[in-house]
Amino acid sequence: MGGIRRNKAVIFALVFPGLLIFVFAVLYPIFKSVYYGMTDWKGIGEFNFIGFGNFKAVIFEDKVFRTSLLNAALLAACTVLLQHPLAMFFAIVVDRVGKRLESFFRATLFIPCVISVVVTSKMWVNVYNSSYGLLNKILDVFHLGYLKQDWLGNPKIALYSVIFVIMWQGFGYAFLIYYSGLKGVPEELFEAGRIDGANSWQKFTHITLPILKPVILVNVSIAITSSLKQMEPIYLMTNGGPGTKTQFVANYLYMKAFNSQQYGYANAISVVFVIVCLIATVIVQRLFRTREQ
Amino acid sequence: MKLLKRGLVLILAFALLISMAACGTKEAASTPDTTAVESTPAAEAAVETTPESGSSEPVTINFFSNLPDRSSGQGLLEQTILDNYMKENKNVTIKIEALQDEPYKQKFQSYVASNNLPDIFHVWGQPSFFEAVMEKGYVAELNPNDYTNYGFFPGATKDFSYNGKLYGLPRNQDLTTLYINKAKFADNGVKIPTTYTELLDAAKAFRAKGIQPLAINGRDKWILNLFYQDILIKVSGNQQTIYDASSGKTTFSGDPDIRKAAELFKKLVDAKLFQDSFTSADYGAAQNLFLQEQSAMFYMGAWEVGMASNQDNSESFRKNVDLVPFPIVEDGKGKITDVCAWNGGGYAVSASSKVKAEGLKLLNYMMSPDNWPKIGWEKGLVVPGQNYEKYLTGKENQLQLGVTSILKTATSMSGTSWNDVNPGEWKTTVENAMQEYAAGITTVDEFLATLDKAVVKK
Repeated sequence: MGGIRRNKAVIFALVFPGLLIFVFAVLYPIFKSVYYGMTDWKGIGEFNFIGFGNFKAVIFEDKVFRTSLLNAALLAACTVLLQHPLAMFFAIVVDRVGKRLESFFRATLFIPCVISVVVTSKMWVNVYNSSYGLLNKILDVFHLGYLKQDWLGNPKIALYSVIFVIMWQGFGYAFLIYYSGLKGVPEELFEAGRIDGANSWQKFTHITLPILKPVILVNVSIAITSSLKQMEPIYLMTNGGPGTKTQFVANYLYMKAFNSQQYGYANAISVVFVIVCLIATVIVQRLFRTREQ
Repeated sequence: MKLLKRGLVLILAFALLISMAACGTKEAASTPDTTAVESTPAAEAAVETTPESGSSEPVTINFFSNLPDRSSGQGLLEQTILDNYMKENKNVTIKIEALQDEPYKQKFQSYVASNNLPDIFHVWGQPSFFEAVMEKGYVAELNPNDYTNYGFFPGATKDFSYNGKLYGLPRNQDLTTLYINKAKFADNGVKIPTTYTELLDAAKAFRAKGIQPLAINGRDKWILNLFYQDILIKVSGNQQTIYDASSGKTTFSGDPDIRKAAELFKKLVDAKLFQDSFTSADYGAAQNLFLQEQSAMFYMGAWEVGMASNQDNSESFRKNVDLVPFPIVEDGKGKITDVCAWNGGGYAVSASSKVKAEGLKLLNYMMSPDNWPKIGWEKGLVVPGQNYEKYLTGKENQLQLGVTSILKTATSMSGTSWNDVNPGEWKTTVENAMQEYAAGITTVDEFLATLDKAVVKK
């Protein structure tokens, strides 16, 4: 059987279909995007070739593009600094709880991920409604009425309201990945630690964390790339508003293409966006690679 | 044995390739779904291959509509007329695809981009939407002589024409309307506003009683532009003011009437005239607030006159709803009879349709005086863009009577709303600017400067 696996013709035959799909579904559209990005196509009729004008405008002049990237960076930071520690904490607790409760908690913590993003986004829009929403009503019940806000309409806090919903929905994935990572930590190490007189915190920092490093890397990469490509929650909750305070790149280029009918410019945005995502991924990989060594 | 193994591997490779290709084409064929929860699309549009010929040959016409609710309002009217047509022409099958406004516009763009427009479809007679479509020859030319007896109001077909040729027919006389809930005013001792100050006072009075004064769909930014235009009409008394600024003849920052209207607008926002979270309320949410009698007023268009006849609305609401003309501004030059009105929605036939003759026949049938205007008015569903005086039944609901009286006494009409008057990026730029101003993100100077910059750019 080893013969089959090493046979170059066999390898090629099995990889070829996937490669073909990748070239036509991913690479070719990207090249077409680069091409259309260099025109002023309005979606209908002819267009003129305008070179790198669109790209220059996107990188140097477009304030909304910059806002979108900053919003994505903020979302990534919140996810890594708030959601992940919480997910890891829950993973440790659920791991220790054991027996039947463990599977119960695993299921319930994962439920938000399974619900359609359309349903959760529209649900949160209603929860956040400043007159009839659940959130403000609960604050009233607990005599915290002074904390009531226009959660999605106030330009100062709308972004954080949206970030919270995105973190809430993605929590289950982060939790699940850390939980599976934890299950891979050998029990003998904790035994050894206990014998050596380590307390819980020392066990965590010296045993759990080092072993979880690859898992953390995976989770952080996912957090950063998914923060960059957020579109549906934005489109459904605020459509980038009020103004452009909660705008993200994917929603912005969607609006540019379909609302403003600037297909050429939208293509340029998407190409610059791909480059930004690639750079971000490479940076994350580099950071974690040095640590692993 | 080696040959057998190699053969098996090759078969496996082919199977993978074919299955992935099949998956690929399936994904490509299923049209990307829109995310609007409120839309309930009817049958998906099918590709037409039957050649157009005599009336005995079966014909399928693809109809693309922006009215997903087929059980009330304009959607019901459209469905009724199409059903009647199919009854009278047994060989014709009309396949309807319906999406709400925003998803409709986006899907329309992809139909145009792939040169795959349905045979007959809804259009907005606004340069921002229709001009490019007419210019590039995507719609079939219509013969004006067919419509001499159709009774279209003067100027109604202006925005559906390009270079002197007619390309579409309007279906409504659209105007902005301030709907009110009479009971809310009476029960709380608030005067129904006829002037700006009374509107401001009403806002404060309702807020003092914990009632939302006016429901508006601020998330769909265009309604804010209309509200502002209504104020400006009453300040300047000249419908042209905003169009001169939009075309660059004058400037937004330099015109004192424009600036004053902007300041008056802000004063209403600051007095909390609009409902809480109005910038995240969409059409359905804002209208629902009014239908549930949770707000005293609702700012929308005359196409909603069906609200008073719709049995789905509570009897209390149907009794209490009414409308008033937009208040005048005390020291402004506009009269109460200067209205913000235009002919927005309409229909057109695709120039590349394989059943063009049939499509045109259907269009002419739909808009003929006995159909759209007559049925629409008698059932209280729309305000037609054609003369409907001979269809007055005497059983009109109060909203229809209100709109008829406004139209009859109008001394001037605006035409297409200012955010739709230039093609390209203009619409999104000025709508964004309007929403940012309403949300308090920009000052009046920044707002006007943004508008002026957008004019130069075009």
